[in-house]
Amino acid sequence: MIRSLALALTVVTCCQAQEKLHLYTWADYVSPEVVAKFESAHLCKVVVDIFDSNESMYAKVRAGAAGYDVIVPSSYMVSLMEQQGILLPLDAAKLPNRVNISASVLEKVDDKTMRHSVPYATSYGVLAYRKDRLKDAQATWAMLERPDLKRKACVLNDMRETLGAALKFLGHSINTRDEKQIAAAGDVVIRWKKNIAKFDNEQYKSAIDSGEFVLVHGYSGDLFQVVSENDQVGILFPKEGAVMACDEMVIPKSARQPALAHAWINFLLDPAIAAENMEWMGYLCPNTEALKKVSPEFLQNPALKVPDEVQARSEVIQDIGEDLAKYTKVWDAVKGTR
Amino acid sequence: MKLPRLSTLCLAGVLVFLYAPLLVLMGNSFNLSKYGGRWEGFTWQWYERLWKDEATLTALMNTVMIGACATLGATVLGTLAAWCLHRYRSPLQRVHLVLTELPLAVPDIWIGVAMQLFFVSIGWELGYGSVIAAHITFCLCYVTTLMLGRLQSFDFQLVDAARDLGASGPQVLWRVILPVLGPGIVAAGLLAFILSLDDFVITFFVSGPGASTLPARVYAMAKTSRSLPVINALSTLLILGTFLLALAGHRLLNRRTS
Repeated sequence: MIRSLALALTVVTCCQAQEKLHLYTWADYVSPEVVAKFESAHLCKVVVDIFDSNESMYAKVRAGAAGYDVIVPSSYMVSLMEQQGILLPLDAAKLPNRVNISASVLEKVDDKTMRHSVPYATSYGVLAYRKDRLKDAQATWAMLERPDLKRKACVLNDMRETLGAALKFLGHSINTRDEKQIAAAGDVVIRWKKNIAKFDNEQYKSAIDSGEFVLVHGYSGDLFQVVSENDQVGILFPKEGAVMACDEMVIPKSARQPALAHAWINFLLDPAIAAENMEWMGYLCPNTEALKKVSPEFLQNPALKVPDEVQARSEVIQDIGEDLAKYTKVWDAVKGTR
Repeated sequence: MKLPRLSTLCLAGVLVFLYAPLLVLMGNSFNLSKYGGRWEGFTWQWYERLWKDEATLTALMNTVMIGACATLGATVLGTLAAWCLHRYRSPLQRVHLVLTELPLAVPDIWIGVAMQLFFVSIGWELGYGSVIAAHITFCLCYVTTLMLGRLQSFDFQLVDAARDLGASGPQVLWRVILPVLGPGIVAAGLLAFILSLDDFVITFFVSGPGASTLPARVYAMAKTSRSLPVINALSTLLILGTFLLALAGHRLLNRRTS
């Protein structure tokens, strides 16, 4: 009798301590130490599930996978999820740390008042080059057309990223709905295509690291890793502006632990925690107070030193609804060109 | 003289084609270089990182747990199904046979999508339960097919003889049927376990919060993770594990029972 009582007691206490927060995010996108700190501060267990693309996450959540408490999609996906009505409006009173979010990033995302999403981290689609093999590197998208780089460069195999880069090169918005502008950008990418070796989303890191390619178009968060290990690799933030990605924290309506989810978001916005987190993951958190706390060496990484004027000219990809078909049409033409 | 040499050459070619990529991956799991383009020296550090990677180990535990449950379910149900299919030849059993073998022919992605829709529509929350149920479903047809083959060589006179000598129903089961079919059942179970371990497509659709398996995690990591060599280390261990299991299964399947 006593034994079964003791057992029941352990089960009960264990379940209390085992309150679970389900986080659905990208791989290596939160520091394990930060997770451990949150777990001991809130007496819970954080279970991290990861997704490889916004689309596969969306497919899963939309189909009815309930129970994810905090999800970290990119901004255009946040707008889509909001339109579908699957996001919980955030309770500002539970997120006092949101005052730390940088205003310059907020003005670029859709949800400028953080009604249902809070920016988590930013990165840029930039160029990386080999310092030892490319002497007169210039920070411009025109680099991709240089004849001396023929077959020695690659660009991202991502419609919005690459057409976005071409749109920026032409001085247009990356979210334009003007068919003429998109077609002109398509022509630019076709010119690039004739010069570069391939479209690539994964191998470019090893290609620039080993020197197989001299110039690559890639995500600054990935290139952060390459640059910190190989000092022959440099980063170029094209002066025309770049495509900026902003991943944001949201709470779906199907969350089981909305209170704990708010606590998690607020915890990650704490300056000391955010500083620790970004040094671990290598992405910039748009957290003004935290950026004052990170180590100077971290900010010296070339992949993070975004010139102010480039940041000002950069844009975040937005959900453009049915007009996306215009991009798809041009992109198909680009891919079909020999 | 010429033919054996040609066939040896063919065999070598096929083996290289099948296993060279795996060897490259295994080699890279000991490579100091993060991007695997060049050999930069030998290291165990990716294995150490793997050992400390709690989330990946949890996914491994999930995989083993789900695999064990799916194996148990599929082996019991599959063996019973095979027994019925072998013993009774009614039109209903012919339908049963088609239904059992259908998942072998239907592409995984259809099964995955269909199951996800089904679970969501009946309100069964996606999680461990849904993954196990899905795994039992697709393992079942393999177990049944395998057990049907084993039953072909099962001598049912043994059962009659045992009955004749006064054995009760349970005694026949324990003393005669299970010992004879045992190795086949274990081999089918191992196959089911390996299939469950390897499955990505179906799991991708039916898994829910906290129930992601190793293949699902590796897939998500491969795209954005910065610790790719950890995946190599993990894959090396998995390949070795799968290889040993397959070897054991093969041995059991071929064991002569007298």
